[in-house]
Amino acid sequence: MAKTLKDLRPVYVVGIGWHRYQPLSETPYVMLGLPAIRQALSDAGITWPDVESSYIGTGLLGMAAGRAMLKHLGATGRPLVHIENASASGSAAFRHACIEVAAGIADVSLAIGVDKPGVVQRAFTKTGIGNLADDAIVPFTHFALLTNEYAHKHGVKPQDVALVAVKNHRNGALNPNAHRQQERSLDEILGGKPVSGTLTALQCCPVGEGAAAVIVASEDAIKRLGIDPGRAIRVTASAASSEGAGAHAAADAAITKDTIADALKQASLAPTNVDVLELHDAFTVEELHYVEAMGVCKPGQAIHLLKEGAFDIGGQMAVSPSGGLIAMGHPIGPTGVGQIGEIAMQLRGEAGARQHKGAKVGLAHMVGLGAVCYVHVLQRP
Amino acid sequence: MSTPEILKPALYAAEGTSTLPDHPSLRGGKCQCGYVFFPLQTYGCEVCGRTGDALQPVALSGGGMLIASATVHIHAGRTPPAKADVKPHTAPFTIGSIKLDDGPTVRTLLVDVDERALKPGQRMVSKLVSVGSGAQTIVDLRFTTAS
Ligand SMILES: [Zn+2]
Repeated sequence: MAKTLKDLRPVYVVGIGWHRYQPLSETPYVMLGLPAIRQALSDAGITWPDVESSYIGTGLLGMAAGRAMLKHLGATGRPLVHIENASASGSAAFRHACIEVAAGIADVSLAIGVDKPGVVQRAFTKTGIGNLADDAIVPFTHFALLTNEYAHKHGVKPQDVALVAVKNHRNGALNPNAHRQQERSLDEILGGKPVSGTLTALQCCPVGEGAAAVIVASEDAIKRLGIDPGRAIRVTASAASSEGAGAHAAADAAITKDTIADALKQASLAPTNVDVLELHDAFTVEELHYVEAMGVCKPGQAIHLLKEGAFDIGGQMAVSPSGGLIAMGHPIGPTGVGQIGEIAMQLRGEAGARQHKGAKVGLAHMVGLGAVCYVHVLQRP
Repeated sequence: MSTPEILKPALYAAEGTSTLPDHPSLRGGKCQCGYVFFPLQTYGCEVCGRTGDALQPVALSGGGMLIASATVHIHAGRTPPAKADVKPHTAPFTIGSIKLDDGPTVRTLLVDVDERALKPGQRMVSKLVSVGSGAQTIVDLRFTTAS
């Protein structure tokens, strides 16, 4: 029978680093990625030659971005591979780095997400199969439609859905790596530029540039390289999936439900055991969809928990303490890797003003165009 | 007067189905396994993987139920119109998600609707509207509320 991550040898997050997520600038991608990697190496207390393989999550840079960047750390001749999986590129890079270490093929691997905004043609427009109006239906309209459906089904007002953005901007204001670092009132969010349906600009994630790096290691490597085991955070589950047949509009929530359930089962945990949740909140309604899909509450009830403060830092479960995609930003390749970094920081108790006290279990969730879904569970040993 | 040119003839036809003769039909497909899909393709069935003759064309009637709608306020229009002499989409316009009576869900532009009065569950029907910008009449498929 196939094995899960937990059946293999233990794998730990030992180093994390970022280049701030920010609007498109003149900075070459190499100078976004390298500072993030150097920060992760220094966080782990190891050097570049200790890293045995690299997984580069990038969606928009173009072919073969990796070596042109990594060689400036000293070209070690070690293997590297690029992973493109739309919004989930970074999450996929992290999963495969974990699998390589857990399988015993490497002792130390790097997952680096790096991207800059750029126009990349989406392959589904090249399948040769026509569509009625896909050129008029971009992601924000897909989620505006889902917002309309959710609001109608559960009797939720648009101003309630916008509360997700109030919380996530508040968290992002405390995160020096966030694209948006400003608290926003509900009035500011609702009064902003209308985008599609009831979605306003501050309820949609900014897509900018940046980088996030995570180093994973085996117990052997932790001992051999003298890494502080007290700061190592174990990855206890990795689950991934893609959309099944039927082209249901709410496919993202459907695969989220199954993939989170799979990951929690792998880790022998229940939804209520999760202290810190980072999820794909590219648009406000998604946070409601996914916490409900996770089984934290019944469909339509997430808004009540949100209003009670259950998802605040210090609440029942901190949801997107980093600011999430809405405030921390969504530079594509880095996003999924950055989520892991945030959770590791929270479980170490090193998240400063954003610290969710006593956090022991973290779950990172990402969906990507396709649709695909990734879920990782991290636990403090 | 010349017959209007259909913008996307692979996707729909001016003729309706026997159940809904007055509204343009959509060109869908049906697999031997029973799965009904839109648009027609013969690459392979999404449910069972059957290919070729197992996938047969089927005319889907142009009626359905509104699942959701959204009025788009910002549209960059990076993709050029489907064809020269066709007006590009300019915001604001309204998109609807419609569950067809015959099974599949489609998303496209709505016309002649009062967006504030639109409600999920409402009955919708297809219609052809003129989208040409030049001398020739070019029509494309839209949905509107059933009267
Ligand atoms: Zn079939």
